[in-house]
Amino acid sequence: MSDRAGSEPAFESSVLRAYAPGSSNALTLSDESALAKTIVRAEAGSPASASLAVSFGSSRREGATLVLGQRPDEYMLIGSAQSNASIVARLDTSGHVSVIDHTHSRALFRLTGAQASATLEKVCSLDWSNAMTPDGAVVSASIAKVNCDIARNDREPVDAEPASASPSYLIACDRSFGQYLFDALIDAGGEFGIGVVTAADGLQE
Amino acid sequence: MTRNRRLAPQIGEVINRSAPLGFTWNGKPLTGFVGDTIASALVANDVRVVSRSMKYHRPRGYMTNDFWDPNAFMQVGDDPNVRSAHRLLEGGMAIEAQNVWPSLDRDIKAANGLVKRFLSAGFYYKTFIRPQTLWPAYEKVLATFAPGGTVDLDTPHGYYDKRYAHPDVVVAGGGPAGMAAAIAAAQSGAQVMLVEHAHVLGGHLRWGSIADRALADELAAEVHGAGVEVLTDSTVTGRYDDNWTAIVQRSHPIAIERLIKARAKTLVVAAGLIERPYVFAGNDKPGVMTSGAVRRFVNVHSVRPGERAVVFSANADGDAAAADLERVGIRVARVVDARAGENVIEAHGNSRSVESVELADGSTVDCDLLVTAVGWTAPTSLLNMAGDRPSYHEQSARFFGSASIDDVLTTGGIAGDGSIDQLVEHGRLTGRLAAARAAVIGHQLQAATARAVEPANAEPAWPTDDRAPLDRHAHPELFRSSTHGIVDFSEDVSSKDLVSAANEGYDSVELLKRFTTATMGPAQGKLETVNTVAVLAEARGETIEQVGTTVWRPPYAPITLGALGGRVFEPVRVSSIQPWHEAHGATPILAGQWVRPEHYGDPMAEVRNTRTNVGVIDVTPLGKLDLRGPDVPKLLNQLYTNKWSKLAVGAVRYGLMCAEDGVVLDDGVTARLSDDHYMMTTTSSGAGSIWEWAESWLQTEHPDWRVHVTPVTTGFTSINVAGPKSRDLMQRLVTDIDLSPDSFSYMQVRSGTIADVAGCFMWRIGFTGELSYELHVPAGYGLHVWKRLLAEGVDLGVQPFGLEAQRIMRLEKGHFIVGQDTDGLTKAPTTGLANLIKLDKVDFAGKAELAWALDDDTAPVLVSLQPTDPRLVPDEACQIVRAGTNEILGRITSSLMSPTLNRSICLGQVLPHVAAAGTELTVVLVDGRRATARVMEHHAHYDPEGERLRV
Repeated sequence: MSDRAGSEPAFESSVLRAYAPGSSNALTLSDESALAKTIVRAEAGSPASASLAVSFGSSRREGATLVLGQRPDEYMLIGSAQSNASIVARLDTSGHVSVIDHTHSRALFRLTGAQASATLEKVCSLDWSNAMTPDGAVVSASIAKVNCDIARNDREPVDAEPASASPSYLIACDRSFGQYLFDALIDAGGEFGIGVVTAADGLQE
Repeated sequence: MTRNRRLAPQIGEVINRSAPLGFTWNGKPLTGFVGDTIASALVANDVRVVSRSMKYHRPRGYMTNDFWDPNAFMQVGDDPNVRSAHRLLEGGMAIEAQNVWPSLDRDIKAANGLVKRFLSAGFYYKTFIRPQTLWPAYEKVLATFAPGGTVDLDTPHGYYDKRYAHPDVVVAGGGPAGMAAAIAAAQSGAQVMLVEHAHVLGGHLRWGSIADRALADELAAEVHGAGVEVLTDSTVTGRYDDNWTAIVQRSHPIAIERLIKARAKTLVVAAGLIERPYVFAGNDKPGVMTSGAVRRFVNVHSVRPGERAVVFSANADGDAAAADLERVGIRVARVVDARAGENVIEAHGNSRSVESVELADGSTVDCDLLVTAVGWTAPTSLLNMAGDRPSYHEQSARFFGSASIDDVLTTGGIAGDGSIDQLVEHGRLTGRLAAARAAVIGHQLQAATARAVEPANAEPAWPTDDRAPLDRHAHPELFRSSTHGIVDFSEDVSSKDLVSAANEGYDSVELLKRFTTATMGPAQGKLETVNTVAVLAEARGETIEQVGTTVWRPPYAPITLGALGGRVFEPVRVSSIQPWHEAHGATPILAGQWVRPEHYGDPMAEVRNTRTNVGVIDVTPLGKLDLRGPDVPKLLNQLYTNKWSKLAVGAVRYGLMCAEDGVVLDDGVTARLSDDHYMMTTTSSGAGSIWEWAESWLQTEHPDWRVHVTPVTTGFTSINVAGPKSRDLMQRLVTDIDLSPDSFSYMQVRSGTIADVAGCFMWRIGFTGELSYELHVPAGYGLHVWKRLLAEGVDLGVQPFGLEAQRIMRLEKGHFIVGQDTDGLTKAPTTGLANLIKLDKVDFAGKAELAWALDDDTAPVLVSLQPTDPRLVPDEACQIVRAGTNEILGRITSSLMSPTLNRSICLGQVLPHVAAAGTELTVVLVDGRRATARVMEHHAHYDPEGERLRV
């Protein structure tokens, strides 16, 4: 969709409101919408699918990109534009393969902290335990009545429950719902002292 | 004179005597302590009559002194029906009796008691059924007798919360067995949620002996130490399939109430037992209480429920109540031992209190407190909800679960009897079993879920239930004395009512319940179900087992509507330009989930400017589907009624979609961007459904087609630039696309850079009928492009226009809107687009039906109409009738004032025989007047040849 020209204006997120700092850094929410998002559509078992090397419901890190198996024949690359592009460039596109820039289609948030799972429990019916949704898991679900794709992408190893250190979730939704969903997560995390933090430059380690 | 009924400090009391709380009772200032319930505070202040009964308005005092007390409902501020024997006292509470007039002491409605003999069960059914025409009047009068508090409609919506949970084990009940089960399950590695109805853990240990209370504290500490999630003042209100349990949390730091939807792998029901009242004459007089009520008053809250007591005891709890009373200096005038065959016949007294008790031996004993301890009801609701049908055990005089349910286990009093140690041990065994079974279920869930951790080991064997069952102790069957009394205290239903109803033929327990309303009040059968069944059994001359019981259904305890509603999630969608719209005074309108600008102050001026200069409108909600693959034309041919095989790269085509029944589903244009890449637009409301429709065809009928459909609706900010000066404006912002008419003509698409934003595409189409460009810009730069359009076109007169102006302009052009000018019966030929139905295609959605519909000469026709009076704008949906009759010939579907033509214009569906141009039709206006309108030659009222948009 967009080959970013040098003279392009700055990317504008769908989250535009200003937020007061939270009372705790134990639970944070950041707007990562500016990260490049690339969809690859390829049949399971195809050469492109094999080279992405991730199964439905899981994810893996490749350079500055997180590769998500978010549908049986659909992958999402989240990361820097350059990193995503280099992965796409190496794809064997024989057969029926489509590559679509989804950067502008999806809002992307990161919810991190010991209470991140408890926050999601207030807006989503899925089981966020380590056993059912471990680090690396990818799932689609309704969050506060908005269809979302969620990837658990912890920033540091998490011990066995219930002593989770800081589970971290990347949450993608249709851009038009971005402001609504961001506010819904702020509301849900209010009892845990959620704070809004600035997005990291690129995918966090 | 008011007495202070507060006892000297008691060991284990929960009140904080150094923290007094002021409150009012019916306007009178009183004082209680932190830790008091409203009930204990009132009784401490010598309040004995706290409510009036529902039907006869008989004076009532506390009877069970717990959540289920049927006499305890009060108005607290603007909160009606507060359970005062459960709700904790707060400073400043304004507490009032409910449904009394003019006062609790002198309630006029108590006159109902004088005509009691006429108000028996079924009175309303029999009395007010005829004449039916008078029902509205009856209803008005009866409403004034309705029980309950008052709702202040101005009360703001409170913050209620909702949460999901997936614990391994949910334990319902925090008594000794429930706590032991929770501890054992947690120690076995399970994630456990322990739900307790009361404000603290402990169950009946809380009002037991000093040793009992010490054990409660010990177990509670162990519960917390084991990592159990404890929810007090909470109730498991329902159990549904797969152990989906609803838990209402009545107090929470951030919410008034919170509803937890917990998917428990195993559920342990440790709901304990509920003490049953006894049925005899005068059993609802203030001062008649259960043994548990008395012990809670004395041992937990340190108040004197009376001064001289008679204790009617059939069990150890009754004996303990007598001992507790004597210990604190309340004289026990007589212990009436049911186990020795003694019985209570009638309680006598005045409107404020019981004064004496008449016994079966003929004696009468003076007292102001009558304590009954006649047995328990097992609250088997959660077992009922799990499919069990508990059975009656005559020797124990109560019901027990009868089924073995794999993921629902019982422990504690609901499962049997025993010493505290035996109950705790049974609880521990139950907790271990629940955890072991939860582990197997968890293993199965992980193995079946793609994202979950794959189990390392083979599935464990299903743990068998090796627990030794608890004993069932013998207990006298005591339900009703030789006299009649109240059975359902919530609904004022007496045993006499039940017998009468049974004699009238309502002798099935289900019929009896509905006819008399017994068990249907706020106590929800917890106090009265077994007595109801016992009275019916007696009337029928059968056993309780033969009569059976009604089935307990959710909720276990009433839930507020606020808790059920929870947090309100109402997603709204906005485009990237929405901040600009808001900053520039746009009037918002909600279109589906989208917030859109309806206009910026004057929609008529917006139309005129667009027709004269150039206007810009945010059309981002327009559905957009990215289609890729060599078989896209096959999909388009399948979805649209017209042909798509020869659409050239760079071209745009309009298409109509129908469902299999030929009814118009959606319409829009699709552009071919490159050989295998297309962009489809749908209506705003059809964006989601058409994606699903396309996927449905691909996944079910044609999985061999190589097509990828990806929704990109909000990946692009869409802007329509319309008006005679639109090309001039676009030329200032586009450098890499030749905009000359010869190079970029009507119904074509081009990709390029707009306002320094690469990756845009634009097509020449237009809903407005003007020369126009529809721009699709990567959404992260949408606002930038919008601002540049407005900045660069100042000298061209560029202005934004909203949805209303667009509607006007599209109506001037006669374009129909799917869903407004069509409905659920409108087939494609009605729209006038029969030329787009290509029956010579191999197949397309709706083909078979449309082949027939094209020959149907009776289907309505969409026509353009102009009212004879150009100032008259008929409301949309006005009927079109045959002149002088009410014979319906059609209806107006769209109707607006055109600032371009300076007259009203319409679209409408009419029957074919009145659809010819020039036909005069009669329109019935909303106020009943009739007006005339003329059928026009073209759908378009303005520029019918389309000359303005092809320049």
